[in-house]
Amino acid sequence: MKSQHAGTGAETPRAEFAAENQVRPDLRDPKVVLSLLEADQVVAAKWHSRFGRRRLSPGVRVLLWGLRIYVVLMLVAVLVSVVRALHGSP
Amino acid sequence: MEPRHKPPVYETAHPTTASAITSPAAHELAGLLTHEDLDRAQDRWQVARARLREHQSKLRGGSQVLWLLIGPGVLVFLGENDAPSMLTYSATGARFGVGFFIPFAVLTFLMGFVVQEMTVRLGAITHRGHAELIFDRFGRFWGLFAMGDLVLGNFLTLVTEFIGVRAGLGFFGVRPVWAVGGALLMVVGAIATGRYWTWERITLTLAIFNALFIPAAILARPQWSAVSHALLTWTPFPSGNGMEILVLILATIGATVTPWMLFFQQSAVVDKGMQPRDIRAGRFDTLLGASLAAVFAVAAMLATAPLFHHGINASQYQAAEFAQALEPWIGHAGAALFALGIFEAGIVAAIAISTSSAYAFGEVFHTGHSLNRPLREAWPFYFILAGSAAVAAGLVLIPSAPLEFIVLTVNVIAVLAMPPALAFLLLLVNDRDLMGDRVNGFWENVAGVGVTVLLILAGMAFGLATAFPKLMRI
Repeated sequence: MKSQHAGTGAETPRAEFAAENQVRPDLRDPKVVLSLLEADQVVAAKWHSRFGRRRLSPGVRVLLWGLRIYVVLMLVAVLVSVVRALHGSP
Repeated sequence: MEPRHKPPVYETAHPTTASAITSPAAHELAGLLTHEDLDRAQDRWQVARARLREHQSKLRGGSQVLWLLIGPGVLVFLGENDAPSMLTYSATGARFGVGFFIPFAVLTFLMGFVVQEMTVRLGAITHRGHAELIFDRFGRFWGLFAMGDLVLGNFLTLVTEFIGVRAGLGFFGVRPVWAVGGALLMVVGAIATGRYWTWERITLTLAIFNALFIPAAILARPQWSAVSHALLTWTPFPSGNGMEILVLILATIGATVTPWMLFFQQSAVVDKGMQPRDIRAGRFDTLLGASLAAVFAVAAMLATAPLFHHGINASQYQAAEFAQALEPWIGHAGAALFALGIFEAGIVAAIAISTSSAYAFGEVFHTGHSLNRPLREAWPFYFILAGSAAVAAGLVLIPSAPLEFIVLTVNVIAVLAMPPALAFLLLLVNDRDLMGDRVNGFWENVAGVGVTVLLILAGMAFGLATAFPKLMRI
């Protein structure tokens, strides 16, 4: 799904107009709330819509597996290093 | 409560900067608004008002906009100036004095800024947390790996924060159970407001006390010409035990660039309700946080430099021992400031890291995950937040707990777990389906990949030095 980046965000122009004319926003009015938030910023909209899985190219898979193996090997190195340190060996 | 009725809004999520009022599903959404939406809308209204004033007075309105939008960036960097990090900076100052480690620490904060800025864009554009995006885009298999690294790192780090709290207050004779119990109450107290904005301001107020290391450094009477020389030339280079230097280099990197920071800042940006038009302010917030944290880190190094100049072996010192050892050189007031600084570093980080764990849990298990939610609506979120802090605090009070093991490993583990976290970050921030035109530019990718490669090389050097210890004695 392509992104839809239009404009510079919510809260304009309606919200700024409201901000100019009111000391406090009337948050009991759903229209005021919706005018201040972006469409996918509303909890209900986020709750029932997810970003789909991206297709992982072979290169990305190799990268992720490589880094995973790297982490496991490094954790072993940390364990060895700490055991040596705790036992006072070089 | 979560919305019970599925609104016919989107089949697949896609980021949009259009106002919800213009959405085709506005009518359905209007009936499904939550407490979280109302609080967030209230915050957005304040920003809208400040922006209006900005049109009238650039200086006054602009500063109001910044005041409203700073938070996640300053918090993440001052949160990462935590107890083990300040201990690392103190150890480098005490072990090697004024030299290579001062500009190196500044460089690590620059690296931190490069990667944290990407989380601002991701959060402001997608309105999703880091853990949620990893699970959505890479699936459960890879998501669980990322979460495993985060949970392990966060828990170990959280334990070290309470060790710092105990040690810092221990300088003043406070018993461990009172120190740790009091700190736990502060963590719970900060979230009891049920409002992100209040939580953020309370934590920011606590975080600014990280500046306590500045007067401590001034009392140590540093030679400013030596500091300038070190910053310009990166010398004198540390000499001696190669493995010790390598571990301190890794720990200094781990004191600034860690996985929890990525997860925390993106989730905080989302919880704060930041939008694409706030990205510039978010960048400023992140730069401000990195700059303040760099200054305070250098101050910690300068504060302990007298130990180096007087030939005192500080290689085995823990937090409170640094304060006690410094007393003859910077006076009781200076040592007390240092101990208070360690306490503050521990408490702020405990708040930030436990919140980071709770955000990630909520995002992955699709339960409410906002500090704008009341307890009854998001009790699993608050349970994880307070529970992880309570378990870590409890562990610190167990007499035979392997605390030394944890302190030794926490920053090093953070560095080693960072390359996969950065790979996910770079893949997400270059994903046009998520970011549209706001994907990384060429130089942002060069910087991001550069930081990742540097961390991998540092980790591999550590691995080689561990496997072949003789290499470090040449």
